[in-house]
Amino acid sequence: MIENLSLLQIAIVLFVTGSLLGLFSRNSKFTRMLTFVPTMIASFFTVLFSVITITGKPFHFIIPNVLPFINFEIFADGIAAFFLLVISIVSFAVSLYSIGYMKEYETTKRTSVFGFLFNIFILSMILVVISNNSFFFLIFWELMSLTSFFLVIYDHDREENVKSGMTYLIMTQFGTAFILASFLLGYIQTGSFSFDVFHNSSSSFPFLTKNLIFLFAFIGFGTKAGIIPLHIWLPKAHTSAPSNVSALMSAVMIKIGIYGMVRTIFDLGGFGLSPDYSWWGLLMIVVGSVSAIIGVLYAVIEHDMKRALAFSSIENIGIILIGLGLSVVFASLNLTILSALALVASMYHTINHAVFKGLLFMGAGSVVYATHTRNMEHLGGLIKKMPWTALLFLIGAISISGLPPFNGFISEWLTMQALLSSYQIPSTILQISVAFASIPFALTIGIAAATFVKLFGISFLSRPRSEHIAKIKEVPRSMIAGMSILAAICILFGVLPFLGISLLDTAFHLLPHPASPFDAITLQNNSAKSFANLSMPVVVIMLSSMAAAIFGFIKVIGGKTRKTTFSTWDCGFGSLDQRMEYTATSLSQPIRTVFKTLFRPHNKIQKEFFGGTDSYLLKTLKVESVTKNIFEENLYLPIISSCIYIFDKIRKLQTGKINAYLLYIMITVVLLLLFVRLSHNV
Amino acid sequence: MYSIAEILIGVIQGLAIILLSPLITGIMQKTKARTQKRIGATILQPYYDIIKLIKKDEVVSDQSSWIFKVCPWINFVALATAAFFIPLFLTYSPFGLAGDLLLVVGLFALARFFTMLAGLDVASSFGGLGSSREMMFSALLEPALFLTIFIVALTYGGTNLSTIVAAVAGATLLPHPQLIFAAIAMFIIVLGETGRLPFDNPATHLELTMVHEAMVLEYSGKSLALIEWSQAIKLMILLALVVNIFAPWGISSSITVATLGIGFISLVAKISLLAVIIAYLESTIAKWRLFRIPDLITIAIASSMIGMVLYYL
Repeated sequence: MIENLSLLQIAIVLFVTGSLLGLFSRNSKFTRMLTFVPTMIASFFTVLFSVITITGKPFHFIIPNVLPFINFEIFADGIAAFFLLVISIVSFAVSLYSIGYMKEYETTKRTSVFGFLFNIFILSMILVVISNNSFFFLIFWELMSLTSFFLVIYDHDREENVKSGMTYLIMTQFGTAFILASFLLGYIQTGSFSFDVFHNSSSSFPFLTKNLIFLFAFIGFGTKAGIIPLHIWLPKAHTSAPSNVSALMSAVMIKIGIYGMVRTIFDLGGFGLSPDYSWWGLLMIVVGSVSAIIGVLYAVIEHDMKRALAFSSIENIGIILIGLGLSVVFASLNLTILSALALVASMYHTINHAVFKGLLFMGAGSVVYATHTRNMEHLGGLIKKMPWTALLFLIGAISISGLPPFNGFISEWLTMQALLSSYQIPSTILQISVAFASIPFALTIGIAAATFVKLFGISFLSRPRSEHIAKIKEVPRSMIAGMSILAAICILFGVLPFLGISLLDTAFHLLPHPASPFDAITLQNNSAKSFANLSMPVVVIMLSSMAAAIFGFIKVIGGKTRKTTFSTWDCGFGSLDQRMEYTATSLSQPIRTVFKTLFRPHNKIQKEFFGGTDSYLLKTLKVESVTKNIFEENLYLPIISSCIYIFDKIRKLQTGKINAYLLYIMITVVLLLLFVRLSHNV
Repeated sequence: MYSIAEILIGVIQGLAIILLSPLITGIMQKTKARTQKRIGATILQPYYDIIKLIKKDEVVSDQSSWIFKVCPWINFVALATAAFFIPLFLTYSPFGLAGDLLLVVGLFALARFFTMLAGLDVASSFGGLGSSREMMFSALLEPALFLTIFIVALTYGGTNLSTIVAAVAGATLLPHPQLIFAAIAMFIIVLGETGRLPFDNPATHLELTMVHEAMVLEYSGKSLALIEWSQAIKLMILLALVVNIFAPWGISSSITVATLGIGFISLVAKISLLAVIIAYLESTIAKWRLFRIPDLITIAIASSMIGMVLYYL
């Protein structure tokens, strides 16, 4: 207990030290070391703290009456500790990576400010997760939102970055408003800000209040998580932020939104939900499916590496929500074991996504560091110049595509099994609706693999598409080390899924744990036969023995043969060059055409003629393939333009004449007097 | 858990798929030749081709990286490992303890992922073209395949292949209406997954039509042998799945020489028959325009959706 507290204290002190050192070092040569090394050590202590908390007892710590009537409460049970683990693993790797990455900004920007914000950002995320009081929760939540806002606009010389920052700020405040509403409803019911009180008295909340609290929390936390249609800020902010910040935001910060949802559902009765609340789960499944499919469809047509990764985050949040929603549906129908299965699937995907998306954003950051462009149309052939970055990015790409034997496969396998288990739901309508969620889910996985073939294939393989790639070189060692940590976890959680599953079982107090690493994940059907089995260690052994066998076979039968290197087949016409390669846009053209209802693709053609209008002699021809963002154009633009319209009307009230203002005051006073008078009569 | 004999038969089942798969490809080629009024090569020709290619020298593109070199190996290893999870002439495979139908699909996807990368790696338009089309096919086939698995898994109580095949063998002739729709969908998926007409023509090298061949155009020698062989294995796995899930007659559920013999003979006969049917179909239809293919896949998805609703009703 004491040990726990001191670990946490050391971590907090170190984060603060890191941020202050950042401020006081004033852009010296050592700024990067001074700011990011304390972050690394602090993250390491947080990892220790969360592991001890998961395996041991929940951690509770109160400073009474910090503000009048409000206690500062820290509470870390298994769930909070699990999310702490996710945060601290990724922040450890990212801060190691940042030591090298921030060198790029050293000449043009003030890295000291960055170090300050970076440390406070991570600290605020940790404090959000462990605070046990809605008042402090919101304070830290806002601190997290604001520091991340400043980090997004860190590169504020470009106007587009400031714009995306503003979108982010507005959307995150929109979300906070809903979270606040949800907490206030709880406060009205209980008269307390403490989550413990919410938890204990939630069973006596009226039906409508419970539903409203859930709905508000879902919208509020969903905005942070980036569900569609509240995702609008996500691709912008992730693209504008420096890549190490994008890694943190995408891997960790949007998971805090998921944490908020898990908390809300658990605090409103946990696994004792009644069938009346099945619609919570269904809503999550529907929103999750829509987010997954639309997210991945936007990701696959994107040619900006970081934007594609950002859209893929929306997709993965969708997959996590499908799992979480299934868990709620099962829990509300009292199918406890299935609910646990779906929860494990969803949380396994949460930690997996944190790990591989952190890795991929760092990989994209390395590409930007080396080439100074995010546009895939200008990349290509990086695998020869940056072999390590390429290998690590490939590991991330395979993992996120859900291919065995990497970690993404395990969580997607579990989610599919949870979907398949919907046959145990007693109501037919519910069964069919849940089962149909498997269509978008499967389509998402298929397109996700295509997305990452494109991302890796176009950026890292084949011939360089622009000249300056010939001069680039591999990124510094600290960046590679940061990525390697997460890549190793990708493999570890894929080959030995028992690690992740027993971690989740302990954290969430679920099923009995697998006894040995070689135990298969086993699900049973109604007649007690095996429904499904999966034992990754055995599969890996089979794969490697097969590799050895076929290698031996080919060498023995074929003997020694000569390998000649020659140019790629050019149909005998000679000299293939980079203009004849497939581009990122052409690679995804078939998918863009198939889903043309969503993308509305069209070609913008600009022609310029010799001698003005002579339509036979073409001087230049410019063709641009454009797709529409239907959410932005059909949902947000109307809202924005109607707001501006209303504000224009309101502005007429502001005449600037003192007599007019006096009139307004008098009208207000009269109206208020009338209101008071009338309400007394009633 | 399993006796030595059972494990031995499990290994034999896996090896049977790996070793017999070129024969199935040979039968298909022979059928096509016959329907086109040619005599055609012997049905053993794919074996000769593989042996010949293994002994040949290789030409590797100067643009390619290690991805291009490891791709054939990953293809073969993933698909050959998948073969061990398939119950072939016995209703179960001891390897079913380690993996299920979804793992088999995952291994297919792993092989395809690297093939698509290899297509991009050589920096020719052909490779990109193949990868681009394959991206569309694989993305759209995924939901169809998963829905079909959904129906089969729900009808027979699991995604574990041993459970499914054992339940199928014990069931009466087509006891469930949803399986008819699943079978229609599965047949279309098999054509798509193995790159048969009307999706892709495995016999052509015309840039307008090729998909899979375009991705592997640069391969030669040992690498090409591995690619060809793993394609044959994939075809055999899918045919074996169709046969054992939808037409289980003759499969052995106990380990005696007689039943295993019958199981083996009937399996080879059924798969060959299915291969002949597919090859005959291929000779009678033309390749579809690329953007009509989604319609065909939609038929598969719709068919399995009907099947799923039928299951629940």
